[in-house]
Amino acid sequence: MVNLLNYAQQAQDNAAQELSTGRRVNQPSDDPAAEAAMVQENSLSAAVDQYTANSDSLTDVLNTGDSTLSSVVTLLQRAVTLGVEGANGTNNQTDLNSIAAEVSTIQSQMLSLANTSYAGQYLFAGTATGTAPYVADPTTGAITYVGNGSQNKVQVGTGLSVATNLPGSSIFSQPNDPNTTVFTALQSLITALQSGNSSGITAAEGQVSDSLNAVNTAQVFYGSTVDELTTNENYLAQEKLNITTYENTLVSADTATAAADAAQAQTVLTTTVAATAQIDQQVNLLTYLH
Amino acid sequence: MGLTADLNVSVQSLLASTESMDVTTTNIANQNTPGYARRTVVLEEAAPVDDGASTGVDVKTIQSIRDNVLDLSINAATAQQNLSSTVSSSLSPVQNVFADTAANSIGSTIDAFFSSLQQLSTAPATDSLRAGVLTAAGNVASAFQSTASVVTQAQQQADQSVVQETAQANSLLQQIAATNGEITTAQNLGQSCNSDQDQLSSLLTQLSAIVGYNTVSGSDGLTLTTSDGTPLVVGNKAYALTNQLNQSGFNDVYAGGTDITSTIQGGTLGGYLQSRDQHLATMQTQLDQFAFQFAQAVNTVQTAGSDATGNTGVALFDPPNTTSGTATGAASSISVALTSGSQIAAAASGGASGDNSNLTQMIALQNQSITNGGTPDEAFSNLTFSIGNAISQANTTATATSNILTQLQNQQSSVEGVSLDEESSNLMLYERSYQGAAKVISTIDTLMGNVLDMGVTDPGY
Repeated sequence: MVNLLNYAQQAQDNAAQELSTGRRVNQPSDDPAAEAAMVQENSLSAAVDQYTANSDSLTDVLNTGDSTLSSVVTLLQRAVTLGVEGANGTNNQTDLNSIAAEVSTIQSQMLSLANTSYAGQYLFAGTATGTAPYVADPTTGAITYVGNGSQNKVQVGTGLSVATNLPGSSIFSQPNDPNTTVFTALQSLITALQSGNSSGITAAEGQVSDSLNAVNTAQVFYGSTVDELTTNENYLAQEKLNITTYENTLVSADTATAAADAAQAQTVLTTTVAATAQIDQQVNLLTYLH
Repeated sequence: MGLTADLNVSVQSLLASTESMDVTTTNIANQNTPGYARRTVVLEEAAPVDDGASTGVDVKTIQSIRDNVLDLSINAATAQQNLSSTVSSSLSPVQNVFADTAANSIGSTIDAFFSSLQQLSTAPATDSLRAGVLTAAGNVASAFQSTASVVTQAQQQADQSVVQETAQANSLLQQIAATNGEITTAQNLGQSCNSDQDQLSSLLTQLSAIVGYNTVSGSDGLTLTTSDGTPLVVGNKAYALTNQLNQSGFNDVYAGGTDITSTIQGGTLGGYLQSRDQHLATMQTQLDQFAFQFAQAVNTVQTAGSDATGNTGVALFDPPNTTSGTATGAASSISVALTSGSQIAAAASGGASGDNSNLTQMIALQNQSITNGGTPDEAFSNLTFSIGNAISQANTTATATSNILTQLQNQQSSVEGVSLDEESSNLMLYERSYQGAAKVISTIDTLMGNVLDMGVTDPGY
């Protein structure tokens, strides 16, 4: 009888714990296999959270790169327009000099854009993000690239990595002629304008135009990677939901069953207590032997 | 046969009834005494008094109704039940640190460590993220240490209980040997030893709750041995149970100078030994290997890369900082060897300060089989399963043997136990037979009076 009371009490405790925690498995011994699977699902869930966080922070960096390159494109378009204007033969040298001055301003703005940093790190330096990638020689004024050509990759999903940067050498240099950069093209244009060399102006304007195309091409990387990250984040959200659903099937209490168990345990307990009380009042032969 | 002989027969009958009523009273008095088996009076026809026609009744013996096989089964089930419930209760405090809901478990801190590496990989030159990796690595080390400490504490508690249970078992063995001796002496003298048998039975059941044993009956009474035949009690001699520290710093159990630790099966003592020397010891070894192999894998990648200042990376975890060395004690002593986040070798060897390619290698460890148990997550999950399963199996066995035990005990009380109904009806029976014998005596008295009065008083006819 006492055993029965204990069982009923335990069944009731279990059901009550399930109902209050909402979990069928509250410790590893409740269901070792489910709990072991649960531990792994938690790891997967944490990984998905981190992939999502990675996607978020990369999106910020890539968007900064994208908008910087948009400014670069605007400036180069202006330089091309100025080159065409300088080459049309209607300008005197004074006009050409003032055009050259504007191109020179564009060149220094360009230097500043190419040395854009995000959170203290230079965006277009390859992986040498600690130093400004484009440096003007103090005497000659020639602008050279001191970054490297490396790309970082960051994991944003199981087996899925994206490149996080484009080195400046792949953006501001001509793909087929690495020595010709946005800066050398602009410098050629300035020099040609200042010397009033009309064919030189046309040639330099062509170089600036080629640089513009190169930057336009490079900019696609930023936009498409951000798109990829957005798609990936949607996928990660779905995966997170799948994990949560699976976790629920692993350890969650079936509320209806738990409630029924609790009720049944209560009934068993009540009847057992009543029966035990009856034993106390049970008669034996001695009762009748007076 | 004469009236005198009849009188003798009746007196014998009175004595037999009195003795029977004594036994019944004793049974009723001891209905709740542990180890007590109900007794019955065995009556036999007495030898003829003179001419062979008149026989009375004799009390041949008073017998205890004891089912030895049933008693043995109960003691075996008691030993098994106590073993299982002790294993369960002594392992239970350990399982919570392996639960999926446990804060700062080894599993969750390793996940957080890899997350911090991932975060750093998005901006490898960021000081705060580098510091975050060191913090996360420190949390992994703390988790290993505190988990190892929980396991050690459980082992130490089990060890303390081993000492207490050994002392109790020792005291019971002394009492069993003494009682055993008394029974043998009484039997040799042809005396009744029912109450000694009751006591022995009670002592044996108490002993089986602490330690499992085998019994053999012989000329000098009961012999108790461990599972492999090492003697615990032979006749009236008990082999003293003592404790002696082994090289792990835990108490082994010796019987009369022989190490019987590994042969103890069953009972609470068996349960504490099983938890301490098997489940928890295995757990400790697995934790050490896990910590060692995890640290080794991380260090191997770390020392292959370059840190923020361009220096070759130095080991992140200590110990082990070399590929040699042993895993023993690794879980309880693992710590972070780096003092600054800048020492994390995020870059490939000779890589620029913003390079994250060595970090990528380190992150990849999360899905590599770098431990005996597989990936770090799998290794932790295996530990969760093994502790949960050990407790769950012990619980299942405890419940099953508890049910068997209840059945056996019910059976025992129906065979050996005192039934008030039965004793009451016996009491009535013996009372009636006493009354009957008394009536016969009174009739004989009247008859004898008649004979003696003959011719003295007027018969009235």
